[in-house]
Amino acid sequence: PQSLLQAYAKFSGAPLTVNTINSSWRAPKGDVPVLISKDIVISQPARILNFLRKQKYNADYELSAKQGADTLAYIALLEEILLPALLHTFWVEAENYCSVTKPWFASRIPFPLSLYLPGKMSREALNRILLTRGGPPLYSLTEVEAQIYRDAKECLNLLSKRLGTSQFFFGDTPTTLDAFVFGFLAPIYKVCFPRVQLQEHLKQLPNLCRFCDDVLTCYFRLTVSGHSPAGQDTADANLQKLTQLVNKESNLIEKMDDNLRKSPQHPPRKLTTLKLAAGGEESSPLNRLSP
Amino acid sequence: AAEPWPENAALYQQLKEEQILLSDNASSLAVQAFLQMCNLPIRVVCRANAEYMSPSGKVPFIHVGNQVVSELGPIVQFVKAKGHSLSDGLDEVQKAEMKAYMELVNNMLLTAELYLQWCDDVTVEEITHPRYGSPYPWPLNRILSYQKQWEVRRKMKAIGWAGKTLAQVLEDVDQCCQALSQRLGTQPYFFNKQPTELDALVFGHLFTILTTQLTTDELSEKVKNYSNLTAFCRRIEQQYFEGHDKDSSATVTAQSAKRSLLR
Repeated sequence: PQSLLQAYAKFSGAPLTVNTINSSWRAPKGDVPVLISKDIVISQPARILNFLRKQKYNADYELSAKQGADTLAYIALLEEILLPALLHTFWVEAENYCSVTKPWFASRIPFPLSLYLPGKMSREALNRILLTRGGPPLYSLTEVEAQIYRDAKECLNLLSKRLGTSQFFFGDTPTTLDAFVFGFLAPIYKVCFPRVQLQEHLKQLPNLCRFCDDVLTCYFRLTVSGHSPAGQDTADANLQKLTQLVNKESNLIEKMDDNLRKSPQHPPRKLTTLKLAAGGEESSPLNRLSP
Repeated sequence: AAEPWPENAALYQQLKEEQILLSDNASSLAVQAFLQMCNLPIRVVCRANAEYMSPSGKVPFIHVGNQVVSELGPIVQFVKAKGHSLSDGLDEVQKAEMKAYMELVNNMLLTAELYLQWCDDVTVEEITHPRYGSPYPWPLNRILSYQKQWEVRRKMKAIGWAGKTLAQVLEDVDQCCQALSQRLGTQPYFFNKQPTELDALVFGHLFTILTTQLTTDELSEKVKNYSNLTAFCRRIEQQYFEGHDKDSSATVTAQSAKRSLLR
């Protein structure tokens, strides 16, 4: 969910600073990611997206009504089918959990919490999987696992067919759906787990891999500082948009260079009053990911 | 490999007038519509313990020959294995879209129906508890319905719906209907000329919502806002259910003896 939101913010040009919080308790209600804007606190991805849209950072501006409807449908597909498999890979699969997820998480949150919180999230993930997909006639956990991975692979195939050869799901500019798909696929694609059946399957779908790579290189190259390029014109032709993006990124690079030269430490810049608080696990994979 | 469809295929659901609930009725109607669209005759049998007879614990289920299959997804695949399919004419991208929309309906509409039935206290007291255990004597009826309620609430909590208010759930339903309405547009069916399992599923849910009387009319009002959806339901009702007046599978109402609101 964190990478989904960052991707959406990047696509719609919302200026967002990503604060890593090292304790999930500090986020109200213990939920990450959390968007804090002035005094309003919003904590679920869907609500955060709605909020951003109302503030006029809308990446779906140019979609037709039918495409908007398609977006909703595909998001439901992702949540129903891909999410259980993702949860399982991260939190339930014993080897993955012990060797990757838990140390990541634990390294980012302070001591007493690091003993409790990963276990809690793991139990919640297992609970969710069993309650939503685990009814009869599937009686054992291994059967449930087999079923959800089968479904997830089919879902990936469907996404690949839908993407076809185009750059983004609705043409040449990214939209909410692209943010969602990226948010779900990027962890599978990039994180190095010992047990990787989903990743292997994904690698056999070249257009989805290309999609992830594109988003990462275009929009996340500058995540090191946690700032995102300033607003994006939504009214021009595609070529103009692309050239503008390139120009803005080069401007930003120049600005960053200036900043680094002027002060030894990177000054905390508040672009606007929007702050996105993301859980610790997010920036570390992206830091490892940026080429 | 296809055996012919037997004459005595039966679909099992709970008792129509007294027991069945909104969500189960919707699922059952969706399967009936699907089978009608495939031109496969089926008898509807009402049993109080239908839920327990079903292999997956969910209604409806069909008993064909010596096989028992439950829920729309597996039934569609089963029927396909027998050689009947509604979605063969679709290309790959359309099939992907169809799956996505079916998940949307399951994710939003079905979950909203379950929420309304089991997590909204007024509805639970006045409608769900009395209906769910009605074939059984006291105290079994109360025990069974509390048990089911506990199960459903657990599931809602796991997927994050427990924290939602009724207003938020209704808003989600509205969003879902809006998406369906936009996708349908002015076409007769979701994939233009031919009905598919998506049409059956949407019909099942929307028709049930429109014709079931609950404590408030808010849910059906949300659907009524979209005229192409109500026209869609009427069209399917007329085309696939008109000839079965006796069956009256299309005229189920949950509370009163009132006939279908679409008439």
